Amino acid sequence: MTAIPKSRSLALLALPAALLIVGVYAAPMVGLGRMSFNETGPTGAMVNAFSFDIWAQMLGDDFTWELTLNSLWLSFVATTAALVLGYPLALFLFRTESRFRGLLIVLAVAPMLVSSVVRVFGWLAILGDRGFINFLLMQSGLASAPTRLVYNLTGAAIGLTESLMPYMILALLAGFGRLDRTLEEASASLGAPAWRTFTRVTLPLSLPAILLGWLLCFVLAMSAYVTPKLLGGGRVFLLATEIYDQAITTVNWPLAAALALFTLVVLTLFLGTYSALSRKVQA
Amino acid sequence: MPSLSIQGLTKRYGATVAVDGLSLDVGAGEAVALLGPSGCGKTTTLRMVAGLIEPGDGSIRLDGVDITRQPAYRRGMGYVFQSYALFPHMSVSANVGFGLDERGVGRAERDQRVSQALDLVRLQGLGHRKPKELSGGQQQRVALARALVIKPAVLLLDESLSNLDSKLRDAMRQEIRDIQRALSITTLFVTHDQIEAFTMCDRIAVMEKGRIAQIGSARDIYDDPVSRFVAQFVGRANVLPLTRTGDGLSLAGAPVSVSSVPTGDVDLFIRPQLVKLLAPSEPASGLDRLTGKVTRVSFVGERVEVVVDTAAGRIIVEPPAGTTPPDEGADIGVGWRPADARAFRREDA
Repeated sequence: MTAIPKSRSLALLALPAALLIVGVYAAPMVGLGRMSFNETGPTGAMVNAFSFDIWAQMLGDDFTWELTLNSLWLSFVATTAALVLGYPLALFLFRTESRFRGLLIVLAVAPMLVSSVVRVFGWLAILGDRGFINFLLMQSGLASAPTRLVYNLTGAAIGLTESLMPYMILALLAGFGRLDRTLEEASASLGAPAWRTFTRVTLPLSLPAILLGWLLCFVLAMSAYVTPKLLGGGRVFLLATEIYDQAITTVNWPLAAALALFTLVVLTLFLGTYSALSRKVQA
Repeated sequence: MPSLSIQGLTKRYGATVAVDGLSLDVGAGEAVALLGPSGCGKTTTLRMVAGLIEPGDGSIRLDGVDITRQPAYRRGMGYVFQSYALFPHMSVSANVGFGLDERGVGRAERDQRVSQALDLVRLQGLGHRKPKELSGGQQQRVALARALVIKPAVLLLDESLSNLDSKLRDAMRQEIRDIQRALSITTLFVTHDQIEAFTMCDRIAVMEKGRIAQIGSARDIYDDPVSRFVAQFVGRANVLPLTRTGDGLSLAGAPVSVSSVPTGDVDLFIRPQLVKLLAPSEPASGLDRLTGKVTRVSFVGERVEVVVDTAAGRIIVEPPAGTTPPDEGADIGVGWRPADARAFRREDA
């Protein structure tokens, strides 16, 4: 056998993944970039060109910025809600000594096994005007008319939150490494009641997990399409839904390409700021 | 300093009894060790005193006040964990000041007491460091300072020195003992290391299977163990099978005398330091004796260990310092004062 220098043999391990990424991700991205400088002819067909018209049109349009804010806001709300709901659950799963722990973890992430379309229809049955919640509200006399819970931002946020939770729980479980029961006992022995122990010890020590989970889910939320599209009922306008509409419905490929790249830039800027901030917080 | 009184403390886990009706009084300012092998219930006892485990039965009183059902955070115990349990996200000062924050101590007083506590454990000037930037011994001191700074009702030490290397352990033993004496803190100390128990505590409670087998000073327990378990767990002992004869006991045919002999099959226990080396034919008045052959002489650090094979079995002798050890292979006699020997019932091992 020929001896291969260590650094070179290690690099070889990365080769298949690198080839895959170049082939199916980098190359299409370059194509997308090129496409965004094309023009749309009067018939709506794409014309090969090299102009900044599409970019100027997109960036000058208030609607683009509205989409951006909508997307960021919805992602923020859903991710934060998923964190608040997922944290106690993840902490319980991390801590439990039940022999069903494995099963419970599988149950917590089981929603990922169900198609998001199917889950959306489930939510429609629960949240719709004649759905379960409105039925309860009206029957109990708490409300006289149905509350709008779907086909708006609320519905999109609820559905998105639920679809993010399994990822949030997995990320939190993976990040809880530094949590140690003994530290909480030490805190109690030093005079801290349970809630003080939580705010002074448990929460700070799970901060890396929180930051990781929030980041992962925010990225997923920004790129989510099916759930906000269906639960938003066409009334929630987001970058992801607009890219789809431009590409498939309007067939304005250059604009769809430009929007896609624009989304990528927004997300990159956001994540850059986020990781700089989280490094500061954790220092 | 308050006194601690434990009465009939019991803890069961399913069918196993971890602590079985344990009673113990620790006087004000006294240091008591719970000494025992792993699984004897000593840590469980300590954790119940701290309030980290709910007792099944029995009571824990502090100066007569029942604290059995009080939550840990109200007990004011200073607990030093085996793993130190320092908060990794806080500086050394913040770790030490943690308990003072919880007591609402003002900033100026807090800072002053933290720096006093760090002085006490000789960590001046390291307050800004993070725990992971300290050595094991330093972390141990931080844990100690953190427990002492709150002026604990009782200082509880859980195998606190077991993660240190032996040199450092010696130094920390002295240091903790000095601090404990200087502040006269009521202390309960869990350990499986008899040297730790002997050097750091006024009294020692030897635990076996969730109960206290014997309690007393180091001297009492070493010289006068009440059971086979205590005799074997604390210090070393030669164990030789005894045979009952018509009117007494014999060891490989030679009559021996032992005070207070239990019924049934018994073994003779004699400490290696209490066995004297004799010339093979030397008359030994007042001693019970055996003859044998020296099979090994080894230098174990500061002492000499002589192994003698006799008809009754192998005997280890530790002659006093300064004696010239015999040659290996030599014929030799061994003898001991009957008052130094003990007889305990044989275990079906």
